[in-house]
Amino acid sequence: MELAIIVLLVVFFGLLLLNVPISFCIGLATLATMLLSIDFMPAVTTMAQRMAGGINSFALLAIPFFILSGLIMGRGGIARRLIECAMALIGMLPGGLALVNVVSCMFFGAISGSAVAATSAIGSFMLPEMKKQGYDVNYSAAVTASAATTGMLIPPSNILIVYAIASGGVSIAALFVAGYLPGILLGMALMLVCAGYAKLKGYPVGARLPLKLVVPKVAAALPSLFMIFLVIGGIISGVFTATEAGAIAVVYSLILAVGIYREVKPNELPAVLMKAAETTAIVMALIATSSAMSWILSYEQIPQVISAAMLTLSENPLLILLMINLILLLVGAFMDMTPAVLIFTPIFLPVAVELGMSPLHFGIMMVLNLSIGLVSPPVGSVLFVSCAIAKTRIEAIIRPLLPLYLAMFAVLMLVTYVPAISEFLPKLFGLY
Amino acid sequence: MTKLVHWVDTLLKWFLASLMAGIVVVVCWQVVSRYVLGAPSSITEELSRCLLIWIGMIGAAFAYRTGVHLGLDIVTRRLKVERQRHVQLVLTAAVVLFAFNVMVIGGGNLVWLTYELNQMSAALGIRMAYIYIAIPLSGMLIVFYGLSQLYFGIRQQPMQPVEGMH
Repeated sequence: MELAIIVLLVVFFGLLLLNVPISFCIGLATLATMLLSIDFMPAVTTMAQRMAGGINSFALLAIPFFILSGLIMGRGGIARRLIECAMALIGMLPGGLALVNVVSCMFFGAISGSAVAATSAIGSFMLPEMKKQGYDVNYSAAVTASAATTGMLIPPSNILIVYAIASGGVSIAALFVAGYLPGILLGMALMLVCAGYAKLKGYPVGARLPLKLVVPKVAAALPSLFMIFLVIGGIISGVFTATEAGAIAVVYSLILAVGIYREVKPNELPAVLMKAAETTAIVMALIATSSAMSWILSYEQIPQVISAAMLTLSENPLLILLMINLILLLVGAFMDMTPAVLIFTPIFLPVAVELGMSPLHFGIMMVLNLSIGLVSPPVGSVLFVSCAIAKTRIEAIIRPLLPLYLAMFAVLMLVTYVPAISEFLPKLFGLY
Repeated sequence: MTKLVHWVDTLLKWFLASLMAGIVVVVCWQVVSRYVLGAPSSITEELSRCLLIWIGMIGAAFAYRTGVHLGLDIVTRRLKVERQRHVQLVLTAAVVLFAFNVMVIGGGNLVWLTYELNQMSAALGIRMAYIYIAIPLSGMLIVFYGLSQLYFGIRQQPMQPVEGMH
């Protein structure tokens, strides 16, 4: 078993450093580990079967839908209207534009499922605007990246769907509702840092708009915000499943972007569909190969060994939870979120449950933790996108990110040790 | 060679776009049939899962072609250009190795086994083999793209990016 772990890690990290795509690193590491104990033909056949099995799920289907609706909303003028609404509401506070950035990301997170989509949709509007008003480019990129992670917790969220599957039975509706408070808390912590930073740097404060100008801006955003009620309301009330809600979100965003706002022409749709299929495939490739890796790990009984080892290490639940968090932060820095959830849920969830944590609470903690990984180098997809839009280098935005990391970590600790933050709303709605 | 790659690119692009549109229609139909027609469709759930496997698998090959799979270039981008080309060879070899062994051979064997056993899908009543065939097909596409990358790499020609995808 020790040999299996060594082979797995060496092959994975070796290939990762050679810039082999992560899904193939996971696949090849799994293959090498399998060949230690299983003959070639059964090994490759089992892998192929696990890969197909891993994505053969109706719940996962929500992911391409939220990717597609995110793309349509990004191009369809929906992001711009959300930003203008946020600007009218909070632009006059200190650090106005940075706060607007955070709130817009939270709005966008509330109608789409991916942080990368939020980063590109909000960032491509906000970054030039912030630059115009004298904000430091690297700081703006850091704010956009960290704010986009709120969308991982604020439903709909693709990663919570992946966790629901990995945990084997936590309800998607309960997870979605559970994400609101931690997501909003995270957004508020980031805004606190932004406001403090703005005071320090003397960034401009936006003008307070008269009410008769605020109202039309908010009204223009209302059809977009109605998506929240349609999608989340539909899921919570049980009118439709998360997957069906995703399909409804696609149709509704099409109606908005093509029909009402008229910013997407019908002949642009094939390109949007292609892009959505491509993005979907990246996620599905990760899920497929991670499912195979998860299988070989449990075949080698590695999760059980790690769980047992962790529980003998300390009797103190607070300490073990801290340890899990630190390991996940490290994992998140090197691994994309989706494989991290699929591979580490079976390893850590039993430990957490043993300590009296609910699988719902653990899921929210894990997703929040790995969200920090999305904005930490060397592997941070949101960080990459934000830097690409801001035309800056990753190294340059690390410094302005530091206070934002601190805020994220503080919220992570709160969410870890106060179960009510995650469990209050699902209990209120009778979902948990 | 450039023409052949372009032809496969275009075919895949439109195939994927149609699957994506199809999957939206199928799941919307599921909602409509349940609430509006009052007669929930029995095949939409399974059909959409099959479509997802096809999008995931064929799309993975396409994403390899467009180079959008997530990777880590902190080490490789610091290397000299000549070295980078060698690393690129190793990278392509690794991807082709996986695609050929696991997806073409393993996936092919899976298709053959389920065909022999006559395994049928529960609702659609079609052979599972037809659904699984996406795996070896995707593997062959990845091997094709990998080999064409080697072909252009050896001739030191740049491989044209896919039109309309950036």
